[in-house]
Amino acid sequence: MDSEMRSPLTVQGLCKNYPAFRLENVSFSLTPGTIIGFIGRNGAGKTTTINSILSFIHPDAGKISFFGLEYPEHDREIKKGIGFVSAGMTYYTRKKLKEITGVTKTFYPDWDDGAYRKWLDSFGLDEEKTPAELSNGMKIKYALALALSHGAELLILDEPTSGLDPVSREELVEVFLKLKDEGKTVFFSTHITSDLEKCADRILFLQNGVLKADDTLENYQAAWRIVECGNEIPPDLKQAACGSCRIRDGYTVLVRREDAVTFESREASLEEIMVHLEKEAEEA
Amino acid sequence: MKMLMKEWKLCMHPTGYIMLFCTALILVPGFPYGVTCFYMGLAIYFICLTARENHDASYTLTLPVSRADAVRARILFCGVLEVADLLLMSVFILIKYAIGTMPNPAGLDAGLALIGEGMIIFALFNMIYFPLYYKDINKPGKSFLFASIAVFLWITMEVVATYTVPFFRDILDTPDPRNMLDKGLYTLGGLALFLAGTAWSIQTSIKKFDSVDLSL
Repeated sequence: MDSEMRSPLTVQGLCKNYPAFRLENVSFSLTPGTIIGFIGRNGAGKTTTINSILSFIHPDAGKISFFGLEYPEHDREIKKGIGFVSAGMTYYTRKKLKEITGVTKTFYPDWDDGAYRKWLDSFGLDEEKTPAELSNGMKIKYALALALSHGAELLILDEPTSGLDPVSREELVEVFLKLKDEGKTVFFSTHITSDLEKCADRILFLQNGVLKADDTLENYQAAWRIVECGNEIPPDLKQAACGSCRIRDGYTVLVRREDAVTFESREASLEEIMVHLEKEAEEA
Repeated sequence: MKMLMKEWKLCMHPTGYIMLFCTALILVPGFPYGVTCFYMGLAIYFICLTARENHDASYTLTLPVSRADAVRARILFCGVLEVADLLLMSVFILIKYAIGTMPNPAGLDAGLALIGEGMIIFALFNMIYFPLYYKDINKPGKSFLFASIAVFLWITMEVVATYTVPFFRDILDTPDPRNMLDKGLYTLGGLALFLAGTAWSIQTSIKKFDSVDLSL
């Protein structure tokens, strides 16, 4: 109970059934002041999980708590402590940023105008502009500025780097690291795993609605190795394989670290782990 | 109050202002004046449509408010527009009397009973539009279609009644100040229906919106 009280977000046994998709028994708990990467391919259930966390959809089963508080009794307190940013959503595209901010701040007694100005300056945002006039990266930065100015301790980001160029993604990763330094918790869903390798402390891997991994980035990456082979995968490697991918000169095969000792192998990137595991799931 | 201000500053569509001034159609002779209330319904539809296009629900639901607060604010805001519509309608009725009125062959004459009529139309609109809208906020057009059919049926019945139903023909569809007691009671009945219908609409819409999964 004590650890649940301290955790910015605890999800226990989350289930949601749709006719063509099931989110099954997803459970995890976040540690304050860390960056958590929530990965999985498109359609794996990341957005369904986030929508359940934000109470946009009603889970069929499970418990979600924020610093020990639950919906719907503590709806308002919970929302004061979290900030949500989604790449796919832009609010009121033809309103000036200052108008949107003017309305937003009235809902937060702890709104910090000084912090807001600081974030606007640091992101190079002009309040006279409308969201329609901002690039995707700047829209996300504006949404972040709003969330950070009302004192959100937990930032929930749904695919924030999708559709951004590498430089903008790099800038956002730097922002997330800065937020972590300030003690904020960043829960960050993405399928662009290279961003997470630069900043995440922990990885949650969701596959077909099932949470397949919940580990530190280092441990998770260390648990896997990549073996490169020619156009034929040897039978002993095939037996140890947890997914293989065709490359220009043959195949790359993902194997567990303990099974990799008899092969010449190298470190696996997060993307390679995800892609190989997805291929294995597809073939199964 | 904060939510009402949010509705006004972020969700108000320009047609909301334009349709308010469509109440000036009261000055046009031989016009079914109840239609001016339908125009406000059209503005409400545009407000909901604009809200969808601007991802208003996902913005609102990340604010420290409940779903019930969001529903209440939207319906009350539209209720305020409807009341403003009726007040402006009253102003144009007074202007029409000042410049000289004549009997309206297309439904109720411009007068006190027309205000009651407007309240009944808005009650009908609110009771049909909002509960259907909050069942699926991504389809504001479907609920508007059903509400519009009901409103036009009522307006048609009202126009026909001014020729066929004695209470409408001989009492309500007469120039003011004739039959003011009956017209006053009719308007009070309209007010009661407007208040009760809108309150029912809020409660029903909250229940519907609370139970739906939002695909935002």
